[in-house]
Amino acid sequence: MVDLHHIAAEQYVILKLPSGNWKIVELKPHTSISLGKFGAFQVDDIIGYPLGTQFEIYYDTQSPPGDDDPKNKNKTPVGKVKVMEEDVSGNTEGSESSSTPHELLNVDSSATNRNLINIGNEIQSMTSEQIEELKRQSASAEEIVVKMIESHSGFHEKTLHSQQKYLNRKKRKFAKYFTVEYLSASFLLQWLLEKGDAQKVLDISEETVAVLLNVANIRSEGRYLCMDETGGLLVYFLLERMFGGDSSSPHTGKIVVLHENEHPNLDLLKYSNYGEKFINDHVKTVSLLDFFEPPNPADVDSNFIPIPKEEARQLKAGKKNAYQRRLKWYYNQHQIVELSTKCQYDALIVASTLQLSTLVPLLAERVHGSRPVVCYSQFKEILLELTHTLYTDLRFLAPSISETRVRPYQSVRGKLHPLMTMRGGGGYLMWAHRVIPAPEPPAHEKQDETNEPEEKKQKVQ
Amino acid sequence: MEEMEKGTNTSPMNSSISPFSYRDTIQEGDLALVWVSRDNIKPIIIDAKQMFNTRYGSFSHKSMIGKQYGSQIAIRTKGQNRFSFIHVMQPSPELWTLSLPHRTQIVYTPDSSYIMQRLNCSPCSTVIEAGTGSGSFSHAFARTVGHLYSYEFHSVRYEQALQEFKNHGLSNITLTHRDVCSDGFTVKKSDPTSHLFPEGASQATINANAVFLDLPAPWDAVPLLDEVIAKNQKVGVCCFSPCIEQVDKTIEVLEKCGWTEIQMVEIQGKQWESRRQMVRTLDDALERLRDVKRRKQEGIERRKQMYDAVLKDDETDGENSERPQPPKTKFNPFGKGTRVREGDANYQWKQVTRVEPEIKSHTSFLTFAFKIVDKSKVC
Repeated sequence: MVDLHHIAAEQYVILKLPSGNWKIVELKPHTSISLGKFGAFQVDDIIGYPLGTQFEIYYDTQSPPGDDDPKNKNKTPVGKVKVMEEDVSGNTEGSESSSTPHELLNVDSSATNRNLINIGNEIQSMTSEQIEELKRQSASAEEIVVKMIESHSGFHEKTLHSQQKYLNRKKRKFAKYFTVEYLSASFLLQWLLEKGDAQKVLDISEETVAVLLNVANIRSEGRYLCMDETGGLLVYFLLERMFGGDSSSPHTGKIVVLHENEHPNLDLLKYSNYGEKFINDHVKTVSLLDFFEPPNPADVDSNFIPIPKEEARQLKAGKKNAYQRRLKWYYNQHQIVELSTKCQYDALIVASTLQLSTLVPLLAERVHGSRPVVCYSQFKEILLELTHTLYTDLRFLAPSISETRVRPYQSVRGKLHPLMTMRGGGGYLMWAHRVIPAPEPPAHEKQDETNEPEEKKQKVQ
Repeated sequence: MEEMEKGTNTSPMNSSISPFSYRDTIQEGDLALVWVSRDNIKPIIIDAKQMFNTRYGSFSHKSMIGKQYGSQIAIRTKGQNRFSFIHVMQPSPELWTLSLPHRTQIVYTPDSSYIMQRLNCSPCSTVIEAGTGSGSFSHAFARTVGHLYSYEFHSVRYEQALQEFKNHGLSNITLTHRDVCSDGFTVKKSDPTSHLFPEGASQATINANAVFLDLPAPWDAVPLLDEVIAKNQKVGVCCFSPCIEQVDKTIEVLEKCGWTEIQMVEIQGKQWESRRQMVRTLDDALERLRDVKRRKQEGIERRKQMYDAVLKDDETDGENSERPQPPKTKFNPFGKGTRVREGDANYQWKQVTRVEPEIKSHTSFLTFAFKIVDKSKVC
């Protein structure tokens, strides 16, 4: 089994920066990675540590190398890293520790802020040039902040609470540390949302996709029919749930992705750490046209007949290539026939902006009885139309619409409260089960059809 | 239904394969879930000699055997000759959760799903769950993770869960009877546990990388985790507590024990019903009022004519003159006075959603935290 818990070379990881921002990087050995104002580090220095470790960048010399070279003037100097024992970053919005930080131990504070007068920048006697100079000398965030507190004429008028807030804000500003995290599907989504790509992933939220994975009953051995208009994010969530990032996973599950364009768009899978072979084995793509109008197997066979391997090996180079290409085509055509006409799927999972009320009844034809049909939409109205269509179709049991939202809290002791703002949106899910309607049994003796209306599926109480 | 209460012999005969793994057709001895309605889902063991009774009629298990899972089984009731049906479903953790009696304390699907996602559950996860409770969350964990170590301190519930996991073929669960708050998480050979110890081992090697604590006092259990969690990797914990005071105490202990990235969240799950509302236009409403007014006017006219006639002709016997009846209206755009079924094709409808009448406004607070015990480098 691959080691999934330690930082490895040639791997994509996501870095959490002091600002609360995220950055995806590929760990190319013997190179350095720059984090802008937070410093730069050597990839080789972090390899082998557990994923999730927080590192601090520090500089040995007073003048970092390359200072004199005008070419490197704007280049972030590469520092050394050390593992941080204590987490200082906290969560973006306040999981500051509840004990008094040591920087504040020798500073007075005020019970209220009534004496605090806003005089703007003048309250800080250090100039921004002086602070820049400190940064250039690669002073630690702590040193800079302590100096700033000393030169802050109104600091003792602040309450302890506001002093802590000031401290955390400034520390975050001058800090030079980063956390290396495993690039899970959830982190990938968070990264996309933070860089303003919510629309690219249909505004889906972690909590909604979490419910999708559970109600779709995703298992490592399942065969799933999927439409993914999130650029591969949904497929990545499925892969992570099924195989946990393990390219040597013994599980046999497969995802069949239907696409409406000539080529599928699963771009985001490039950040996954599954090998190409693994993805080809477990993710199959079929265009909607091929799915609904698959080739006729007889036509495929009449077009091409594979020759025995021995003979193929003896073909001349040019001919061999052409033959291999035809062979690939041949297998691909037969696979399309298999996937679109023979397979019965263990779930249908749809995140598409095609009209669901016409699409889903057709796709569900290939879903095995008692298996879930789960559709995501950014808009409830789309799913409303879909459920009304499915209600009248006896192949669907109990279609229902669900909405799931997470409310994050400021998680500090004594100051627990919901965050003042949070992301809106997150979309909705439609969940139903594929069932097999029975023919209406004949009446005993006399015909009495008027007793029960035709549309009775949901009416049994 | 009464039959089901009696027949709680819910141990399937085909226990070599889990009834929760994908199955194709309904077979003798299978554990199946009978869907009568959304709020009435019953587990049964398929037995060709048995009947499944509902107030809508009796369904023979024989009629289910050999059919694909998800099949509708339909009958005509003897007395009233009504069409009646059920669906025979294959169990999944989520359907199993829906089938549990409503009084049962369970972690609902929106919460359990989010917890599993935040703890990044996959076949590569080893999870600790305390306590087991109704076992509903255990089913969802067992489907997804490599191995689940579940702990239950209540001895009756422990025995019930032990039997249930066995019947459900959930072989990747180790269930242990234990009060983790006082006795920790280590599983020894002498403990009451379902764990299968390898040759020569006297205690289980747990190395969990995800922990779920559904306990009244998680702060007593948190300090005991270090012994059983994986050392050289990032481990996540989720504490599930209904009260904010519990969260406060939990955060205190998590911080003291070196857990970081502490964050508490709440989950709000809502179900939406799809309904229709009749489209009633202002024009139709006005036309209806005009119609009423017109007929009223006609009535006045007729009455006036009648009285005129009576006054003019003294000889006419009052008894002979009939009171004129206003003509019945044919204009009834909204079906007033008749029973209109929602969605009736004779009317126009707008599709609308309505939130379920009672929502779960608070389940519990979910406090997440993470820890790497040993941050040293491996080669």
